[in-house]
Amino acid sequence: MRYAMAIDLDRCTGCHACSVACKVENNLPNGIWWNRVMTVGGESMDTPEGKFPNLRMEFLPINCQHCENPACVKACPVGATYKRKEDGIVIQNYDKCIGCRYCMVACPYSGVRQFNWKEPEYAIEVAMGDAAVEPHQYNVVEKCTFCSHRLAQDLKPACIDTCPNRARFFGDIDDPNSDVSKAIKGRSYFHLLEEKGTKPSIYYLT
Amino acid sequence: MAVQTNVSVQNRKENSLITPWNIIFAVLVLVGVFCWGLQLTKGLQITNLGTTNMWGLYIVGFMISTGVAAGSLLFASVPYLFNLDEFKPYTRIAAYLGAIASIVAASLFIIVDIGNPERVWLFITSGNFTSPMFWDFLILACYMVLSVIFTRQLIQVQEGKKEESSVKPIAVISFIAGILVVVTSFVFSFQVARPLWNNPVQPISFLFSALVAALTVQMILAVLLNKSGYIRMPMNLVGKMAKITAALLCLELIIVVAEVLMGLYPGAGSEYEAIMWLVAGEGAVGFWLELVVLVAAVIFLGKAGSSKGSGVVVGALLALVAIYLIKSNFLQVELFNPLISYAGPPVYGGTTGPYVPNLIEIGLALGIISFGALLFNFGLKKLNLGNGKTGK
Repeated sequence: MRYAMAIDLDRCTGCHACSVACKVENNLPNGIWWNRVMTVGGESMDTPEGKFPNLRMEFLPINCQHCENPACVKACPVGATYKRKEDGIVIQNYDKCIGCRYCMVACPYSGVRQFNWKEPEYAIEVAMGDAAVEPHQYNVVEKCTFCSHRLAQDLKPACIDTCPNRARFFGDIDDPNSDVSKAIKGRSYFHLLEEKGTKPSIYYLT
Repeated sequence: MAVQTNVSVQNRKENSLITPWNIIFAVLVLVGVFCWGLQLTKGLQITNLGTTNMWGLYIVGFMISTGVAAGSLLFASVPYLFNLDEFKPYTRIAAYLGAIASIVAASLFIIVDIGNPERVWLFITSGNFTSPMFWDFLILACYMVLSVIFTRQLIQVQEGKKEESSVKPIAVISFIAGILVVVTSFVFSFQVARPLWNNPVQPISFLFSALVAALTVQMILAVLLNKSGYIRMPMNLVGKMAKITAALLCLELIIVVAEVLMGLYPGAGSEYEAIMWLVAGEGAVGFWLELVVLVAAVIFLGKAGSSKGSGVVVGALLALVAIYLIKSNFLQVELFNPLISYAGPPVYGGTTGPYVPNLIEIGLALGIISFGALLFNFGLKKLNLGNGKTGK
């Protein structure tokens, strides 16, 4: 069994709802984003590529790619980041992380791993999201967990359920009847930086 | 009676560790401790590091002090392996410098860089054998042990308690360990995410830098200790070291220029853009300064044979600055030009560079170097490292 995610780029409108759902669900501290919708081509976020009237806008949501051959797992000097054997999710153990940030250096998908440079601060006083989310720690690296706390409750990751355009699909890639397997069937797709040999579990449908 | 008192006072003065320089170093250590305290209480946010440039001055300090440690071990072992008798009297200082540098490099620059220094013991209890950083930790631990044993054995030889031939085994091991500084480069060069580091020239470049860093510190020490009479190293030997350093810096220059030209030649693409960032973008000041200092260091050191000690010291200091800039630019050009650089929601410290360490980082780094200097001066006073006492 290996969890995977498919993101249909033709359906993504760059609304950032998945990013916000992730932030709320996981009670992410200020300045931390586990899932970011990047603007392809534009000079800054949500700006088009090209010159008027020949403009074009494309988006690329990026979160941890939960690679089959993760560079971060190899790099971590103390084994604080590891791949779960039962479902292939790459987990970050906050209690073990020494905060050396080598995983951030090793990961080709820049920015999906983020470091708590200061004591976590939050937008509102009360905690948001699921109480089962592990508390955020100071001085450690954190990243997308594929909402492992929701998977434990037979729920899909928050970004999947929230996407208003149904651009995101999730499930066991080894099961041909799973949502993700059905979503990629017959479609052309790519993996991000496939040439790096990390074998990501995110399928970008085109 | 009065004469005797004067002599004892003078002896006490000579043996005293309280010298103006040591007081300055001690103050700088306190400054470093204060900066570290601030960093521990307020977090690494008080440095100029960020999500894009997650590594900075501390890692460069780590690279350079690892280089000094490895280069010192090589410098201490080569005279015994290749029978260079003229350098043998100075190997004790080199081996001791190796010990200090490895302790400073391994324990301090890494400890201040990591977010949770109280978890550093996990390197021992939970080391990950696939991590180049763990390999580096093992190599540095070896450096500490080897350089301490090597220093002790060389002192015993000097005092006539041991035959010179008996140090050959540790010299061989130290030589191999010194060459293994290439493992430090693996921390960087094994990362597929960082194409500009991910090439076989980096291990060679790290070896050259290690030798340059060690030789420059040895040359500065040689001039200073010659002045104080602690050792009597002929200037022609210092000149030889200067020329070797100049030659190694020329090789580094070739590597730097080749990297830049190879990046620029395609005229487009991610490597081209990264190199453009370095030569004509945000990193340009650092890069051109690196080239100027590198060439200046080569000229000063190349002429060192015909000049007095001051020329060597200036050349050596320029070489150290050049090595700092080479390593700092090597780090920045890659970190500020990641493989994925689309515009998106802002992250902490997601700047486009360049990175310049702030006063907290500089204060902490100076504190660490000063701590090393204090340990070194302590060794000079308490251990038989110079040309003074001999058992023969």
